[in-house]
Amino acid sequence: MKVITFVLSLVLSFNVFANDTNPAKDLLLNMANAVHTRNFDASFVVVKGKAMEPYRWVHAKQGETELEHLSLLNGAGLEMVRVNDQVTYFEPQSQPYSINTDSIAGPIPEVLFKDIEALSSQYDFVLGGKGRIAGRAAQLVRIESKDEYKYNYWIWLDTESSLLLKAAYVNHQGEALEQLQLTHISVTEQPAPMILEVLNRNFPTPLPGNALEGEKSNATNWRIGWLPNGFKLLKSDRHKLDLNNELTDYYLYSDGFVEISVFVQRPLPGRRLSGSLTSGATTIYVHNGGNFDVSVVGNVPSQTAKAIAESVTRAL
Amino acid sequence: MTKAHVNKLDSETLSALLDGEQHLAEGKISDQDVATFGRYALIGDAMRAQKNNNDIHIDISDNIALALESEPVYADFTQSTANKAPDTERSEAQQDNKVVAFNWRKPVAQLAIAASVAMFAIVGVNTLPQGAGEQESEIPLLQTTPLTGMASPVSYSSEPALENAEQGLRELQQQRIGALVLEHQRQARVAHSLQTAQNSDKAQEGKN
Repeated sequence: MKVITFVLSLVLSFNVFANDTNPAKDLLLNMANAVHTRNFDASFVVVKGKAMEPYRWVHAKQGETELEHLSLLNGAGLEMVRVNDQVTYFEPQSQPYSINTDSIAGPIPEVLFKDIEALSSQYDFVLGGKGRIAGRAAQLVRIESKDEYKYNYWIWLDTESSLLLKAAYVNHQGEALEQLQLTHISVTEQPAPMILEVLNRNFPTPLPGNALEGEKSNATNWRIGWLPNGFKLLKSDRHKLDLNNELTDYYLYSDGFVEISVFVQRPLPGRRLSGSLTSGATTIYVHNGGNFDVSVVGNVPSQTAKAIAESVTRAL
Repeated sequence: MTKAHVNKLDSETLSALLDGEQHLAEGKISDQDVATFGRYALIGDAMRAQKNNNDIHIDISDNIALALESEPVYADFTQSTANKAPDTERSEAQQDNKVVAFNWRKPVAQLAIAASVAMFAIVGVNTLPQGAGEQESEIPLLQTTPLTGMASPVSYSSEPALENAEQGLRELQQQRIGALVLEHQRQARVAHSLQTAQNSDKAQEGKN
Protein backbone atom coordinates (compact mmCIF):
# COMPACT_ATOMS: atom_id res chain seq x y z
CA MET A 1 0.00 0.00 0.00
CA LYS A 2 2.72 2.37 0.98
CA VAL A 3 4.56 1.59 -2.19
CA ILE A 4 1.51 2.39 -4.27
CA THR A 5 1.08 5.72 -2.50
CA PHE A 6 4.70 6.51 -3.06
CA VAL A 7 4.51 5.65 -6.72
CA LEU A 8 1.31 7.63 -7.05
CA SER A 9 2.83 10.68 -5.42
CA LEU A 10 5.87 10.33 -7.63
CA VAL A 11 3.67 10.24 -10.70
CA LEU A 12 1.67 13.22 -9.50
CA SER A 13 4.69 15.31 -8.69
CA PHE A 14 6.20 14.35 -12.00
CA ASN A 15 3.07 15.53 -13.71
CA VAL A 16 3.33 18.88 -11.98
CA PHE A 17 6.88 19.33 -13.17
CA ALA A 18 6.03 18.09 -16.62
CA ASN A 19 3.30 20.68 -17.10
CA ASP A 20 5.49 23.38 -15.59
CA THR A 21 2.41 25.40 -14.78
CA ASN A 22 2.80 28.26 -12.42
CA PRO A 23 -0.59 29.10 -10.93
CA ALA A 24 0.53 32.65 -10.23
CA LYS A 25 1.49 33.16 -13.84
CA ASP A 26 -1.79 31.62 -15.01
CA LEU A 27 -3.74 34.04 -12.84
CA LEU A 28 -1.87 36.96 -14.33
CA LEU A 29 -2.55 35.72 -17.83
CA ASN A 30 -6.23 35.36 -16.93
CA MET A 31 -6.18 38.91 -15.68
CA ALA A 32 -4.60 40.17 -18.92
CA ASN A 33 -7.30 38.37 -20.83
CA ALA A 34 -10.13 39.68 -18.64
CA VAL A 35 -8.91 43.25 -18.90
CA HIS A 36 -9.11 42.99 -22.68
CA THR A 37 -12.45 41.24 -22.99
CA ARG A 38 -14.72 42.42 -20.18
CA ASN A 39 -16.97 45.45 -20.07
CA PHE A 40 -16.24 47.22 -16.84
CA ASP A 41 -16.38 50.59 -15.16
CA ALA A 42 -13.99 51.01 -12.26
CA SER A 43 -12.64 53.69 -9.98
CA PHE A 44 -9.34 53.49 -8.22
CA VAL A 45 -6.95 55.62 -6.23
CA VAL A 46 -3.18 55.62 -6.36
CA VAL A 47 -1.60 56.46 -3.03
CA LYS A 48 1.96 57.77 -3.18
CA GLY A 49 3.15 58.55 0.28
CA LYS A 50 1.03 61.49 1.37
CA ALA A 51 -0.31 62.21 -2.10
CA MET A 52 -3.28 60.55 -3.69
CA GLU A 53 -4.52 60.38 -7.25
CA PRO A 54 -8.04 59.20 -8.11
CA TYR A 55 -8.73 57.64 -11.51
CA ARG A 56 -11.69 56.34 -13.43
CA TRP A 57 -11.15 53.38 -15.73
CA VAL A 58 -13.73 52.24 -18.25
CA HIS A 59 -13.28 49.44 -20.71
CA ALA A 60 -15.59 48.07 -23.38
CA LYS A 61 -15.43 45.39 -25.98
CA GLN A 62 -17.86 46.20 -28.73
CA GLY A 63 -17.74 43.48 -31.35
CA GLU A 64 -14.12 43.41 -32.48
CA THR A 65 -13.40 46.90 -31.22
CA GLU A 66 -11.79 47.49 -27.88
CA LEU A 67 -12.33 50.78 -26.13
CA GLU A 68 -10.61 51.96 -23.01
CA HIS A 69 -10.71 55.24 -21.17
CA LEU A 70 -8.56 56.15 -18.22
CA SER A 71 -8.77 59.55 -16.63
CA LEU A 72 -7.08 61.27 -13.75
CA LEU A 73 -9.80 63.03 -11.80
CA ASN A 74 -7.87 65.48 -9.64
CA GLY A 75 -6.00 68.61 -10.56
CA ALA A 76 -5.38 69.55 -14.15
CA GLY A 77 -6.31 66.06 -15.22
CA LEU A 78 -5.08 63.68 -17.83
CA GLU A 79 -7.18 61.72 -20.27
CA MET A 80 -6.08 58.58 -22.00
CA VAL A 81 -8.25 56.94 -24.61
CA ARG A 82 -7.52 53.71 -26.40
CA VAL A 83 -9.31 52.47 -29.48
CA ASN A 84 -7.83 49.09 -30.39
CA ASP A 85 -4.14 49.72 -31.10
CA GLN A 86 -4.20 53.46 -30.84
CA VAL A 87 -3.79 55.38 -27.62
CA THR A 88 -4.45 59.11 -27.44
CA TYR A 89 -3.20 61.25 -24.59
CA PHE A 90 -5.00 64.45 -23.67
CA GLU A 91 -2.86 66.60 -21.44
CA PRO A 92 -3.34 70.11 -20.19
CA GLN A 93 -1.16 72.64 -21.95
CA SER A 94 -0.27 70.53 -24.94
CA GLN A 95 -1.95 69.23 -28.05
CA PRO A 96 -3.42 65.76 -27.83
CA TYR A 97 -1.38 63.11 -29.59
CA SER A 98 -1.73 59.44 -30.44
CA ILE A 99 0.65 56.51 -30.29
CA ASN A 100 0.35 53.16 -32.00
CA THR A 101 0.37 50.84 -29.05
CA ASP A 102 -2.03 48.33 -27.61
CA SER A 103 -2.08 49.48 -24.01
CA ILE A 104 -2.37 52.67 -22.03
CA ALA A 105 0.71 53.70 -20.10
CA GLY A 106 -1.07 54.62 -16.90
CA PRO A 107 -0.35 53.84 -13.28
CA ILE A 108 -0.55 50.10 -13.91
CA PRO A 109 2.53 48.61 -15.60
CA GLU A 110 1.59 47.89 -19.19
CA VAL A 111 3.23 44.52 -19.34
CA LEU A 112 0.62 43.12 -16.98
CA PHE A 113 -1.97 43.40 -19.70
CA LYS A 114 0.19 41.41 -22.07
CA ASP A 115 2.52 38.50 -22.05
CA ILE A 116 4.23 38.46 -18.70
CA GLU A 117 6.34 35.54 -19.85
CA ALA A 118 8.94 38.07 -20.96
CA LEU A 119 9.55 38.99 -17.32
CA SER A 120 10.49 35.47 -16.26
CA SER A 121 14.21 36.06 -16.55
CA GLN A 122 14.16 38.96 -14.09
CA TYR A 123 11.14 38.29 -11.88
CA ASP A 124 9.58 35.36 -10.03
CA PHE A 125 5.82 34.87 -9.89
CA VAL A 126 4.64 33.73 -6.50
CA LEU A 127 1.16 32.93 -5.30
CA GLY A 128 0.27 34.79 -2.10
CA GLY A 129 -2.63 34.63 0.31
CA LYS A 130 -6.30 35.24 -0.18
CA GLY A 131 -8.14 38.25 1.14
CA ARG A 132 -11.01 40.62 0.62
CA ILE A 133 -10.39 43.70 -1.47
CA ALA A 134 -13.01 46.22 -2.64
CA GLY A 135 -15.69 43.94 -1.29
CA ARG A 136 -14.60 40.96 -3.34
CA ALA A 137 -12.67 37.78 -2.73
CA ALA A 138 -9.12 38.39 -3.88
CA GLN A 139 -6.02 36.35 -4.55
CA LEU A 140 -2.57 37.88 -4.11
CA VAL A 141 0.08 37.32 -6.77
CA ARG A 142 3.57 38.59 -6.06
CA ILE A 143 5.97 39.57 -8.80
CA GLU A 144 9.30 39.37 -7.04
CA SER A 145 12.45 40.87 -8.44
CA LYS A 146 15.31 38.39 -8.57
CA ASP A 147 17.78 41.01 -7.35
CA GLU A 148 17.53 43.92 -4.94
CA TYR A 149 17.89 46.60 -7.63
CA LYS A 150 14.21 46.68 -8.48
CA TYR A 151 11.01 46.79 -6.48
CA ASN A 152 8.59 43.93 -6.14
CA TYR A 153 5.07 44.31 -7.39
CA TRP A 154 2.10 42.74 -5.67
CA ILE A 155 -1.26 42.31 -7.33
CA TRP A 156 -4.57 41.28 -5.84
CA LEU A 157 -6.92 39.72 -8.37
CA ASP A 158 -10.65 39.15 -8.21
CA THR A 159 -11.10 35.40 -7.89
CA GLU A 160 -14.36 35.62 -9.80
CA SER A 161 -13.68 37.95 -12.73
CA SER A 162 -9.84 37.80 -12.68
CA LEU A 163 -9.77 41.59 -12.78
CA LEU A 164 -7.25 43.60 -10.84
CA LEU A 165 -8.44 44.88 -7.46
CA LYS A 166 -5.31 46.20 -5.86
CA ALA A 167 -1.64 46.54 -6.67
CA ALA A 168 1.42 47.86 -4.90
CA TYR A 169 5.10 48.53 -5.40
CA VAL A 170 6.76 46.88 -2.44
CA ASN A 171 10.37 47.35 -1.40
CA HIS A 172 12.56 44.57 -0.11
CA GLN A 173 11.69 45.38 3.48
CA GLY A 174 8.09 44.55 2.63
CA GLU A 175 6.85 48.14 2.80
CA ALA A 176 4.29 49.26 0.25
CA LEU A 177 5.59 52.41 -1.44
CA GLU A 178 2.85 53.08 -3.90
CA GLN A 179 -0.54 51.49 -3.74
CA LEU A 180 -3.32 51.27 -6.21
CA GLN A 181 -6.69 50.36 -4.80
CA LEU A 182 -9.97 49.90 -6.60
CA THR A 183 -12.82 51.56 -4.78
CA HIS A 184 -15.56 50.39 -7.07
CA ILE A 185 -15.95 48.13 -10.06
CA SER A 186 -18.96 47.06 -12.03
CA VAL A 187 -18.68 44.40 -14.67
CA THR A 188 -21.54 44.43 -17.15
CA GLU A 189 -22.73 42.40 -20.10
CA GLN A 190 -23.13 45.44 -22.30
CA PRO A 191 -20.60 48.25 -22.66
CA ALA A 192 -21.45 51.56 -21.01
CA PRO A 193 -23.00 54.05 -23.47
CA MET A 194 -20.54 56.69 -22.32
CA ILE A 195 -17.53 54.81 -23.64
CA LEU A 196 -19.20 53.95 -26.92
CA GLU A 197 -19.32 57.63 -27.65
CA VAL A 198 -15.57 57.43 -28.25
CA LEU A 199 -16.36 55.64 -31.51
CA ASN A 200 -17.82 58.85 -32.89
CA ARG A 201 -14.72 60.88 -32.20
CA ASN A 202 -11.78 61.56 -34.42
CA PHE A 203 -8.36 61.23 -32.90
CA PRO A 204 -5.02 62.61 -34.02
CA THR A 205 -3.14 60.44 -36.48
CA PRO A 206 -0.55 58.44 -34.58
CA LEU A 207 2.97 59.71 -34.83
CA PRO A 208 5.19 57.45 -36.86
CA GLY A 209 7.40 55.26 -34.71
CA ASN A 210 10.50 57.36 -35.12
CA ALA A 211 8.90 60.78 -34.81
CA LEU A 212 9.34 60.85 -31.07
CA GLU A 213 13.05 60.46 -31.41
CA GLY A 214 15.30 63.42 -31.95
CA GLU A 215 18.84 63.43 -33.28
CA LYS A 216 20.22 59.98 -32.95
CA SER A 217 23.83 60.95 -33.07
CA ASN A 218 24.49 61.25 -29.37
CA ALA A 219 24.44 57.57 -28.50
CA THR A 220 28.16 57.76 -28.08
CA ASN A 221 28.33 60.99 -26.09
CA TRP A 222 28.07 59.33 -22.73
CA ARG A 223 28.85 55.96 -21.37
CA ILE A 224 26.43 54.53 -18.84
CA GLY A 225 28.66 52.21 -16.92
CA TRP A 226 26.16 50.26 -14.88
CA LEU A 227 22.55 49.14 -15.09
CA PRO A 228 20.72 46.39 -13.26
CA ASN A 229 20.48 43.12 -15.15
CA GLY A 230 17.84 42.91 -17.83
CA PHE A 231 17.67 46.60 -18.73
CA LYS A 232 17.95 47.34 -22.42
CA LEU A 233 18.36 50.64 -24.21
CA LEU A 234 15.16 51.55 -26.02
CA LYS A 235 16.12 54.93 -27.35
CA SER A 236 18.68 57.65 -27.01
CA ASP A 237 18.61 61.13 -28.41
CA ARG A 238 19.17 64.78 -27.70
CA HIS A 239 16.12 66.97 -27.33
CA LYS A 240 14.67 69.91 -25.51
CA LEU A 241 12.49 69.42 -22.48
CA ASP A 242 8.99 70.67 -22.84
CA LEU A 243 8.65 72.63 -19.63
CA ASN A 244 11.89 74.52 -19.24
CA ASN A 245 13.29 74.28 -22.76
CA GLU A 246 16.54 72.83 -21.50
CA LEU A 247 18.59 70.67 -23.82
CA THR A 248 19.28 67.16 -22.63
CA ASP A 249 20.96 64.00 -23.76
CA TYR A 250 18.38 61.37 -23.14
CA TYR A 251 18.49 57.59 -22.65
CA LEU A 252 15.48 55.37 -22.07
CA TYR A 253 15.95 51.91 -20.61
CA SER A 254 13.46 49.20 -19.73
CA ASP A 255 13.55 45.71 -18.35
CA GLY A 256 10.05 45.05 -19.65
CA PHE A 257 8.45 46.01 -16.37
CA VAL A 258 9.77 49.40 -15.36
CA GLU A 259 11.37 52.20 -17.34
CA ILE A 260 14.40 54.22 -16.37
CA SER A 261 15.22 57.59 -17.90
CA VAL A 262 18.75 58.95 -17.80
CA PHE A 263 19.23 62.65 -18.50
CA VAL A 264 22.61 64.29 -18.97
CA GLN A 265 22.48 68.07 -18.93
CA ARG A 266 24.58 71.17 -18.60
CA PRO A 267 25.34 71.89 -14.94
CA LEU A 268 23.09 74.26 -13.05
CA PRO A 269 24.84 77.28 -11.57
CA GLY A 270 25.73 77.47 -7.92
CA ARG A 271 26.24 74.85 -5.28
CA ARG A 272 24.76 71.68 -6.68
CA LEU A 273 24.00 68.82 -4.39
CA SER A 274 23.52 65.23 -5.30
CA GLY A 275 20.48 63.63 -3.81
CA SER A 276 17.33 61.70 -4.32
CA LEU A 277 13.67 62.53 -4.29
CA THR A 278 10.90 60.03 -4.11
CA SER A 279 7.21 60.07 -4.71
CA GLY A 280 5.59 56.74 -4.21
CA ALA A 281 7.70 54.29 -6.16
CA THR A 282 9.19 56.96 -8.43
CA THR A 283 12.74 57.98 -7.64
CA ILE A 284 14.53 60.98 -9.04
CA TYR A 285 18.24 60.97 -8.39
CA VAL A 286 20.17 64.10 -9.22
CA HIS A 287 23.91 63.64 -9.49
CA ASN A 288 26.55 66.31 -9.75
CA GLY A 289 28.99 64.83 -12.23
CA GLY A 290 31.43 67.75 -12.22
CA ASN A 291 30.99 69.56 -15.49
CA PHE A 292 27.67 67.92 -16.21
CA ASP A 293 24.54 66.92 -14.30
CA VAL A 294 23.05 63.45 -14.45
CA SER A 295 19.46 62.77 -13.43
CA VAL A 296 17.90 59.35 -13.24
CA VAL A 297 14.12 58.93 -13.06
CA GLY A 298 12.25 55.68 -12.69
CA ASN A 299 10.36 53.29 -10.46
CA VAL A 300 13.47 51.83 -8.88
CA PRO A 301 15.03 52.09 -5.42
CA SER A 302 17.12 55.21 -4.88
CA GLN A 303 20.24 53.07 -4.44
CA THR A 304 19.79 51.79 -7.96
CA ALA A 305 19.18 55.27 -9.37
CA LYS A 306 22.26 56.54 -7.53
CA ALA A 307 24.44 53.76 -8.86
CA ILE A 308 23.27 54.38 -12.42
CA ALA A 309 23.76 58.14 -12.18
CA GLU A 310 27.26 57.79 -10.76
CA SER A 311 28.27 55.35 -13.47
CA VAL A 312 27.78 57.90 -16.24
CA THR A 313 31.02 59.11 -17.72
CA ARG A 314 32.01 61.05 -20.78
CA ALA A 315 32.68 58.69 -23.63
CA LEU A 316 36.18 58.96 -25.02
CA MET B 1 -57.92 111.17 -35.59
CA THR B 2 -61.57 110.50 -35.54
CA LYS B 3 -61.00 106.82 -35.10
CA ALA B 4 -58.63 107.23 -32.20
CA HIS B 5 -61.10 109.51 -30.56
CA VAL B 6 -63.83 106.97 -30.94
CA ASN B 7 -61.67 104.22 -29.57
CA LYS B 8 -60.80 106.25 -26.55
CA LEU B 9 -64.39 106.85 -25.81
CA ASP B 10 -65.17 103.19 -26.21
CA SER B 11 -62.40 102.25 -23.84
CA GLU B 12 -63.71 104.58 -21.24
CA THR B 13 -67.11 103.03 -21.49
CA LEU B 14 -65.69 99.58 -21.30
CA SER B 15 -63.55 100.38 -18.32
CA ALA B 16 -66.49 101.92 -16.53
CA LEU B 17 -68.61 98.94 -17.43
CA LEU B 18 -66.13 96.49 -15.95
CA ASP B 19 -65.70 98.47 -12.79
CA GLY B 20 -69.38 98.36 -12.23
CA GLU B 21 -69.70 102.10 -12.73
CA GLN B 22 -71.94 101.57 -15.65
CA HIS B 23 -74.62 99.05 -16.33
CA LEU B 24 -74.20 96.48 -18.97
CA ALA B 25 -75.95 97.38 -22.11
CA GLU B 26 -76.94 94.62 -24.45
CA GLY B 27 -74.63 94.10 -27.36
CA LYS B 28 -72.13 96.61 -26.08
CA ILE B 29 -69.42 94.07 -25.23
CA SER B 30 -69.64 92.30 -28.51
CA ASP B 31 -68.55 95.51 -30.12
CA GLN B 32 -65.38 95.53 -28.15
CA ASP B 33 -62.29 93.73 -29.07
CA VAL B 34 -62.21 90.55 -27.02
CA ALA B 35 -58.53 90.95 -26.24
CA THR B 36 -59.05 94.44 -24.89
CA PHE B 37 -61.82 93.17 -22.77
CA GLY B 38 -59.66 90.47 -21.31
CA ARG B 39 -56.89 92.94 -20.59
CA TYR B 40 -59.13 95.33 -18.75
CA ALA B 41 -60.62 92.47 -16.84
CA LEU B 42 -57.15 91.46 -15.73
CA ILE B 43 -56.25 94.98 -14.67
CA GLY B 44 -59.41 95.16 -12.67
CA ASP B 45 -58.72 91.80 -11.08
CA ALA B 46 -55.25 92.90 -10.11
CA MET B 47 -56.47 96.06 -8.54
CA ARG B 48 -59.08 94.28 -6.53
CA ALA B 49 -56.93 91.27 -5.75
CA GLN B 50 -55.44 92.62 -2.54
CA LYS B 51 -58.75 93.58 -1.18
CA ASN B 52 -60.55 90.38 -1.96
CA ASN B 53 -57.66 87.96 -1.69
CA ASN B 54 -58.43 86.57 -5.08
CA ASP B 55 -55.81 84.67 -6.96
CA ILE B 56 -55.01 85.85 -10.39
CA HIS B 57 -54.28 83.18 -12.91
CA ILE B 58 -51.98 84.26 -15.62
CA ASP B 59 -50.85 81.48 -17.84
CA ILE B 60 -47.44 82.34 -19.24
CA SER B 61 -46.05 78.80 -19.47
CA ASP B 62 -46.53 78.78 -23.20
CA ASN B 63 -44.51 81.93 -23.60
CA ILE B 64 -41.73 80.62 -21.38
CA ALA B 65 -41.56 77.37 -23.23
CA LEU B 66 -41.33 79.29 -26.45
CA ALA B 67 -38.58 81.51 -25.12
CA LEU B 68 -36.63 78.54 -23.77
CA GLU B 69 -36.62 76.93 -27.13
CA SER B 70 -34.68 79.79 -28.62
CA GLU B 71 -32.36 80.05 -25.62
CA PRO B 72 -28.72 78.98 -26.26
CA VAL B 73 -27.64 75.80 -24.51
CA TYR B 74 -24.88 76.22 -21.98
CA ALA B 75 -24.57 72.74 -20.60
CA ASP B 76 -26.06 69.99 -22.65
CA PHE B 77 -25.93 66.69 -20.92
CA THR B 78 -27.88 64.95 -23.62
CA GLN B 79 -25.27 65.84 -26.17
CA SER B 80 -24.35 62.25 -26.84
CA THR B 81 -27.74 61.39 -28.21
CA ALA B 82 -29.16 64.64 -29.43
CA ASN B 83 -26.21 66.26 -31.15
CA LYS B 84 -24.42 63.23 -32.39
CA ALA B 85 -25.54 63.42 -35.95
CA PRO B 86 -24.58 67.03 -36.67
CA ASP B 87 -21.32 66.55 -34.78
CA THR B 88 -20.09 63.71 -36.88
CA GLU B 89 -21.25 65.39 -40.02
CA ARG B 90 -19.27 68.44 -39.20
CA SER B 91 -16.10 66.56 -38.42
CA GLU B 92 -16.44 64.53 -41.55
CA ALA B 93 -16.90 67.68 -43.54
CA GLN B 94 -13.74 69.16 -42.12
CA GLN B 95 -11.83 66.03 -42.94
CA ASP B 96 -8.99 66.77 -40.63
CA ASN B 97 -7.68 64.56 -37.97
CA LYS B 98 -7.22 67.16 -35.31
CA VAL B 99 -9.27 66.39 -32.33
CA VAL B 100 -9.85 68.75 -29.68
CA ALA B 101 -13.50 68.14 -29.24
CA PHE B 102 -13.37 65.97 -26.23
CA ASN B 103 -15.82 68.20 -24.49
CA TRP B 104 -17.22 65.66 -22.15
CA ARG B 105 -13.92 65.08 -20.43
CA LYS B 106 -11.54 67.78 -21.32
CA PRO B 107 -8.61 68.29 -19.02
CA VAL B 108 -8.75 71.60 -17.27
CA ALA B 109 -6.27 73.57 -19.27
CA GLN B 110 -6.23 76.51 -16.90
CA LEU B 111 -4.47 74.43 -14.29
CA ALA B 112 -1.26 74.67 -16.14
CA ILE B 113 0.86 72.30 -14.15
CA ALA B 114 0.32 68.60 -14.13
CA ALA B 115 -0.19 67.27 -10.66
CA SER B 116 2.69 64.93 -11.02
CA VAL B 117 4.99 67.81 -11.64
CA ALA B 118 3.80 70.03 -8.87
CA MET B 119 4.27 67.08 -6.57
CA PHE B 120 7.98 67.58 -6.73
CA ALA B 121 8.04 71.12 -5.51
CA ILE B 122 11.22 71.28 -3.56
CA VAL B 123 11.43 73.44 -0.49
CA GLY B 124 15.02 72.77 0.25
CA VAL B 125 17.92 70.50 -0.39
CA ASN B 126 19.05 68.55 2.56
CA THR B 127 21.88 66.16 2.78
CA LEU B 128 21.87 63.83 5.69
CA PRO B 129 24.71 64.53 8.09
CA GLN B 130 27.78 62.89 6.68
CA GLY B 131 29.44 62.54 10.07
CA ALA B 132 31.73 59.78 11.20
CA GLY B 133 30.04 56.43 11.58
CA GLU B 134 27.39 57.23 9.04
CA GLN B 135 26.71 54.48 6.63
CA GLU B 136 28.25 55.25 3.31
CA SER B 137 25.23 53.89 1.55
CA GLU B 138 23.04 56.54 3.12
CA ILE B 139 21.50 58.57 0.36
CA PRO B 140 21.00 62.28 0.73
CA LEU B 141 17.37 63.24 0.38
CA LEU B 142 16.12 66.34 -1.27
CA GLN B 143 13.49 67.92 0.89
CA THR B 144 10.13 68.31 -0.72
CA THR B 145 6.67 69.49 0.03
CA PRO B 146 3.93 66.93 -0.26
CA LEU B 147 1.29 67.77 -2.80
CA THR B 148 -1.46 69.55 -0.98
CA GLY B 149 -3.74 72.32 -2.06
CA MET B 150 -1.64 74.78 -0.14
CA ALA B 151 1.78 73.92 -1.50
CA SER B 152 2.94 76.54 -3.92
CA PRO B 153 3.25 75.05 -7.38
CA VAL B 154 6.36 74.90 -9.47
CA SER B 155 6.84 78.17 -11.21
CA TYR B 156 7.77 78.14 -14.84
CA SER B 157 8.34 81.80 -15.23
CA SER B 158 12.06 82.16 -15.46
CA GLU B 159 12.21 85.27 -13.30
CA PRO B 160 15.60 85.40 -11.70
CA ALA B 161 15.26 85.69 -8.00
CA LEU B 162 17.93 88.29 -7.64
CA GLU B 163 17.29 89.10 -4.02
CA ASN B 164 17.84 85.54 -3.06
CA ALA B 165 20.28 83.52 -5.07
CA GLU B 166 19.61 80.40 -3.09
CA GLN B 167 15.92 80.72 -3.83
CA GLY B 168 16.62 81.22 -7.51
CA LEU B 169 18.79 78.15 -7.66
CA ARG B 170 16.17 76.15 -5.88
CA GLU B 171 13.61 77.26 -8.40
CA LEU B 172 15.86 76.27 -11.26
CA GLN B 173 16.36 72.86 -9.79
CA GLN B 174 12.67 72.56 -9.09
CA GLN B 175 11.83 73.44 -12.66
CA ARG B 176 14.33 70.99 -13.95
CA ILE B 177 13.06 68.15 -11.80
CA GLY B 178 9.48 68.88 -12.79
CA ALA B 179 10.48 68.84 -16.44
CA LEU B 180 12.41 65.59 -16.01
CA VAL B 181 9.53 63.81 -14.32
CA LEU B 182 7.10 64.90 -17.00
CA GLU B 183 9.53 63.86 -19.71
CA HIS B 184 10.01 60.47 -18.09
CA GLN B 185 6.26 59.94 -17.98
CA ARG B 186 5.92 60.85 -21.62
CA GLN B 187 8.81 58.76 -22.81
CA ALA B 188 7.59 55.78 -20.84
CA ARG B 189 4.46 55.84 -22.98
CA VAL B 190 6.36 54.91 -26.08
CA ALA B 191 8.57 52.44 -24.26
CA HIS B 192 6.31 49.52 -24.83
CA SER B 193 5.84 50.03 -28.52
CA LEU B 194 9.60 50.53 -28.88
CA GLN B 195 10.21 47.32 -27.02
CA THR B 196 7.80 45.28 -29.12
CA ALA B 197 9.39 46.79 -32.22
CA GLN B 198 12.83 45.75 -30.97
CA ASN B 199 11.65 42.28 -30.13
CA SER B 200 10.05 41.75 -33.51
CA ASP B 201 13.24 43.00 -35.18
CA LYS B 202 15.20 40.47 -33.21
CA ALA B 203 12.76 37.71 -34.04
CA GLN B 204 13.18 38.51 -37.71
CA GLU B 205 16.93 38.56 -37.44
CA GLY B 206 16.75 35.21 -35.75
CA LYS B 207 14.81 33.81 -38.65
CA ASN B 208 17.24 35.14 -41.23
